[in-house]
Amino acid sequence: MKQRVSPPRAFLRGIPITVWMLVLVIGPLALTFLMSFYSTDGMQIISTLTLKNYALFFTDPLYVSVLAKSMIVALIIAVLSILTAYPLAYLVSFRLRRGKQLLFMLSIIPLWVSYLVRIIAWRTILGNKGVINSALLAIGAIREPLTFLLYNRFAIAITLTYICIPFVFIPVYTALEKIPRNILEASSDLGAGELRTFFTVVFPLSLPGLVTGFIFAFIIALGDYIIPIQLGGTQGIMFGNLIWNQFGFAFNWPLGAALGFILFGISVVVLTATSRFGTTEGGFLSE
Amino acid sequence: MGLKIYGALIFLFLYFPLAIVLIFSFSPTKTLVGMQGITLKWYEELFRDRGLLTAFLHTVLIGLGAVTIAIVLGVSGAFFVTRVHFPGKGVFRTLVLLPYILPGIIMGISLLIFIRNFGIKLSWFTVLLGHVSFTVPIVMFQIMSRIARMGPNYQSAAMDLGANPAQTFLYVTLPMIRTAIIGAALLAFTVSFDEIVISFFLTGSAWMTLPVYIYGMLRFGLSPKVYAISTIILGLSLILIIFMARYTGRSADVYRAGKKEAGEAA
Amino acid sequence: MAGEIAIELKGVRKAFDEVIAVHRFDVGIRKGEFFSLLGPSGCGKTTTLRMIAGLEEPTEGEILLEGRDVSRVPPYRRNVHTVFQDYALFPHMNVKRNVWFPLKMKGVSLADAKERIERVLRIVSMEGFERRLPQQLSGGQRQRVALARSLVDEPAALLLDEPLGALDFKLRVAMQKVLKDIQRKVGITFIYVTHDQTEALTMSDRIAVMKDGHVHQVGTPDEIYNSPATAFVASFIGDMNFLHGRLVSYDGMGCTVDVNGRTVKAARAACLLGDEARNAPGTDAAVKAGGDVLVCIRTERVQVNPPRETEHGIEGTVKRIVYRGTDYEATCAFADQEIRAVVSSVTWDPAVAVGSRVRIGFNAADVSIFPRSEESMIIQYSSEAV
Repeated sequence: MKQRVSPPRAFLRGIPITVWMLVLVIGPLALTFLMSFYSTDGMQIISTLTLKNYALFFTDPLYVSVLAKSMIVALIIAVLSILTAYPLAYLVSFRLRRGKQLLFMLSIIPLWVSYLVRIIAWRTILGNKGVINSALLAIGAIREPLTFLLYNRFAIAITLTYICIPFVFIPVYTALEKIPRNILEASSDLGAGELRTFFTVVFPLSLPGLVTGFIFAFIIALGDYIIPIQLGGTQGIMFGNLIWNQFGFAFNWPLGAALGFILFGISVVVLTATSRFGTTEGGFLSE
Repeated sequence: MGLKIYGALIFLFLYFPLAIVLIFSFSPTKTLVGMQGITLKWYEELFRDRGLLTAFLHTVLIGLGAVTIAIVLGVSGAFFVTRVHFPGKGVFRTLVLLPYILPGIIMGISLLIFIRNFGIKLSWFTVLLGHVSFTVPIVMFQIMSRIARMGPNYQSAAMDLGANPAQTFLYVTLPMIRTAIIGAALLAFTVSFDEIVISFFLTGSAWMTLPVYIYGMLRFGLSPKVYAISTIILGLSLILIIFMARYTGRSADVYRAGKKEAGEAA
Repeated sequence: MAGEIAIELKGVRKAFDEVIAVHRFDVGIRKGEFFSLLGPSGCGKTTTLRMIAGLEEPTEGEILLEGRDVSRVPPYRRNVHTVFQDYALFPHMNVKRNVWFPLKMKGVSLADAKERIERVLRIVSMEGFERRLPQQLSGGQRQRVALARSLVDEPAALLLDEPLGALDFKLRVAMQKVLKDIQRKVGITFIYVTHDQTEALTMSDRIAVMKDGHVHQVGTPDEIYNSPATAFVASFIGDMNFLHGRLVSYDGMGCTVDVNGRTVKAARAACLLGDEARNAPGTDAAVKAGGDVLVCIRTERVQVNPPRETEHGIEGTVKRIVYRGTDYEATCAFADQEIRAVVSSVTWDPAVAVGSRVRIGFNAADVSIFPRSEESMIIQYSSEAV
């Protein structure tokens, strides 16, 4: 029997959160898993267990190919996000004396600006009558609007990268900030130039943050379906759309549940990699 | 040097789209090149749009509701996880975090399936439930982070000096996490305000939150009203972030168990 | 000093799963006593303190506060307060409110408490600081406020967990005097945890020396220093030589040993009886004639070329001389052993140099004997060990 708080009493404070977890996390996910083994006849959901949804996933080339393409696009987006966010984080962390706090805030702000607003912005920029086209037309660089900008994977990639950049920035910046500056001094003291120091000291030490950022970006990009709808057109179907469709007119919830669960599985696997190779979920949920 | 230029370019890239939205909200026409003066008429139209104003109100209410519930669940949960020993804590923490880090679509369909299973109709209640799912991890992890920085000694000291558990919580623990709660609440509110995916799945036909309403507006193309409301949201987000920055980060440093400072001369 | 027992530990034992933090502690601490718990990190001193405070519960045994068994009583119902290593002043309260806290928990209003708060702040020389916040104070100031906070409701005892650990040297010495003064002035029982033997020796009425959860000895500073009960205590306090020898005969109080063929008489050898009162591991074996022993002499009691005749003398060669300002430390070799002598700079003979043949002198009264089996518990820091 501990004196600080007796165990029975201590567990009381865990009740609200456990109830929440059962009702809003475990319950829904469990039922979805169950639902993935049901089927539908177009009107109703038949609750006899069957594997046909998963079978469909593996046999119908549509699903696997869309998933594969989505994963590749997500990968590309993650890479692009890193190429933009990492240098920025390095700049703010290592090259700035004053105004570091301010620049950090400025880099984060796009994260808290509405997701929808950012989508709207990019539709505006990339459209036929959008900013880029208007500008290029006006200066006579092109005669007709560029159509490849919008309604395809390119548009999806740019917009999602834009969304993901802050998600990569934060863990990378945190990791960079944690590097003790006297290590850099020691490195240069021992004769390494800045580039060398970067590759041999800074980069390896920042790797956990980079991995975390990469994985966050990947997951966000993989699961998104709104951006593909808004900016992807007919070419830009991503795996999220396939799931989404099942809950719309198609009304094939069991199939949607199965596809959703596959996405869940992939996400969990990828996220486990974060805890192994990346930083802890501290990331952007700690102060 | 090249790095600084690259950095500046990235910054431009980050803010250019936002600037576009801002500018377009004041432009009478839709094109950048042919801008003819500034107008506030799109904002005026916003205020006449009953549906939009209702949706805005709904969003605020949901936000307040979800945040309040999240504070109760999150604070109790945070203390539960950090102070009580039980096996499988890592799994527990991950489960709590899931609604926040999983793609929204997974949570959306899961909650939808769950709710339908019990025959509950879609309404503000289901939307609220959905929002509570992701606001709780936000609050709980922020509070956990503050508890960790605080260290257990303050509570030990309070009890040592004669405070029973209730008094310790009321007079010592709660005041010390107060700013963390406010910061977490602001963060959770911002996320809830902007949330569209889960809201979309769980909303009834008539009852909408603002993001869902705007999304509906997008069906008809990009009318300038959209830019106006977007700019307003931009402004609100900015204000919330500034407040949030005040309550977390540096101001919280005072609560760190200060061993370093003890080495100074008397 | 009043003979009344303020705090008593009876058979107190603490285990954390498989790790035994405290094996067995029996002691009666007197009212108004300055009692120290001394030992290296991990010896169980802080755990013991926390058990007295109520922040840990003993696995076995009883803790009595003013005669009352409080082993199962929570900390907020015990009349003892702790001064923590990091002070733990509540950052959201100013000095006045911090000090008010214990009284507030007893239901005393701020107005009623005003006088007592001012009085205790005066005792620690922090009057005038009422409105300051902890962040605005220096380390030493925070410590004094923490002290005031723990004293304001006149507890039966004050428990201090290495309170001076975070201060730099000169400040620490100054604060030792301050603490001792306050303790004497207020007349309150102090239980003081430290790993610094000088601190313990200068401030305490009695010291409990601990290692790895065992209490090796409880005694006054004089007893600890001059009559160490185990080889560990002998090595932890002061600077001790440990020579190897063989027991020749034991005559009740002292004994005769053989050191490399030379006969040495020793004054203290009670440990050779296998005294169960010493409950540390490795101390229960009695040594018979012919058995191996440790021959211990304080370095300051070893003389180099003593002007007056000493009871014992050994011829040796000087191997190393270290000048330490106030004294010289000379390491001398004889046969296959080494002995260190610390000689005051005033009496040091500058003619002695490395390689000199010298006479090493000491008296039987300065020699303690321990069983050779206790060699493993010695704490010595040599350059090889680092």
